[in-house]
Amino acid sequence: MRAEKPDQPDSPDIRIADHEFRRFCDFLYRRTGIVFGDGQRAYVERRLADRILAAGSRGFSDLFARLLVEPDELEHLISAFTVNETYFFREDYQLRCLTSTLLDRITARKRRSQPIRLWSVPCSTGEEPYSIAIWLLENWPHVDSWDIEIVGSDIDVQALKAARDGIYSERSLMRLPRPLVAKYFTALTDGRYRIDDALRGSVQFSQVNIIDQGDTGPWRDMDVIFCRNVLIYFDDMARRTAANNLYDCLAPGGYICLGHTESMSRISPLFHVCRFPEAIVYQKPGEGGHA
Amino acid sequence: MPLIRRDPPSPSGEIPTSPEAARQDMLSGDPLVRRRAVRHLGDGPQAVPSLMEALRREGEPAVREAIFTALAALPDAAEPLASLLRSQDAGLRNGAIEALQAMPGPARLLLPGLLADSDADVRLLSAEIARGLPAGEATALLCGVLERESDVNVCMTAIEILAEIGTPEAVPILRGLPRRFPAAPVVGFAVDIAAKRITGAQN
Repeated sequence: MRAEKPDQPDSPDIRIADHEFRRFCDFLYRRTGIVFGDGQRAYVERRLADRILAAGSRGFSDLFARLLVEPDELEHLISAFTVNETYFFREDYQLRCLTSTLLDRITARKRRSQPIRLWSVPCSTGEEPYSIAIWLLENWPHVDSWDIEIVGSDIDVQALKAARDGIYSERSLMRLPRPLVAKYFTALTDGRYRIDDALRGSVQFSQVNIIDQGDTGPWRDMDVIFCRNVLIYFDDMARRTAANNLYDCLAPGGYICLGHTESMSRISPLFHVCRFPEAIVYQKPGEGGHA
Repeated sequence: MPLIRRDPPSPSGEIPTSPEAARQDMLSGDPLVRRRAVRHLGDGPQAVPSLMEALRREGEPAVREAIFTALAALPDAAEPLASLLRSQDAGLRNGAIEALQAMPGPARLLLPGLLADSDADVRLLSAEIARGLPAGEATALLCGVLERESDVNVCMTAIEILAEIGTPEAVPILRGLPRRFPAAPVVGFAVDIAAKRITGAQN
């Protein structure tokens, strides 16, 4: 999920006062972790004005009052400020952190016979788990020395089908260097690209709802979980449940990578915060830490 | 290709097979077993007594977190959780507040009584629970507190929460508060800040 660019037609003139803007930004931050500063004032105002009109509200105060008591309206609002879209090498600072730091720490406590387990959840249409695979093949010098399992999971079966098909638009590949596109993809006649069969065969996809303990229960001993930009959609209780489920899926000492606007510290006390040069990640305590 | 794909995992055989087995596992010396047992105890009201009993003897943070999360999903747990506001253990008090904030429906039924409790510490901690309610509801409850409260610390907590989530109805009541605590000038400062935050005044 990312903040959408202000590309909508002009909205009718609905004014948002300074204190309303600040109050709204505080509110949105508390609910979603998304931060808007004064630099995004015009964008926030336009989205708010659109939402006020769409909700049939009389103005900011009316909409704001509804946000506090109507979960549906809050969902609409969050949707208005976000776009569900993903692409290859998105938030690649975490991939850099994976190969510069995390894998060294993980392999230091493993035997060679033990696989490294990486989980992308939710994985949407597969861009993230395939990005992890490509990144490792291209950037981790020890990639041939270890068995590496990459799993992509999502609640949406249609997204999983697309992930298994591995066919992507040019837009999905916009962040991938062209040599990597040539190396790992085949151009189709309709302008899209199909990912290499070997890569498709190396990533396992499965349906999982991360707030369902029955779904997450079978998954254990993950070394790194990429769980980006989904917890912000949940209420406090669901976030807390998800954090507990993910904790149980991790190996001792394993890591969780959240989206850059998310903070596990606001969700659960179960994890340690690790500040690395490339990224902040959250770690399950190792053996001898808490359970 | 060094990447491998394994078969989907099957459900773990370590999961307790019944609530009774889970209750037994909750007495295990291994915190991992206790945590797993908590998470599989069941989600009916009958689980509440076992979870509360386990909570009082549990020292491992990860097991406590699992217990609080399980309790927060059970409406019947609200009253037992509220009893922890009197605990001498700060971890239990704060865990109870977070759990009650996560269950606003059951918590709002208890709040009027808790906010009128004879123990000022309970009133203060209960104000924190009100922070999790919709703004209008929290404002009404906390304004009621401010109108009758004699403990300055409870009032300061209510003011702080109103500064964050209060609605304009709170401002007249806030403005009247400093007169009741002439020996505590901090009340006046806090009220000014809260009123400005609520009304959006710049200075």
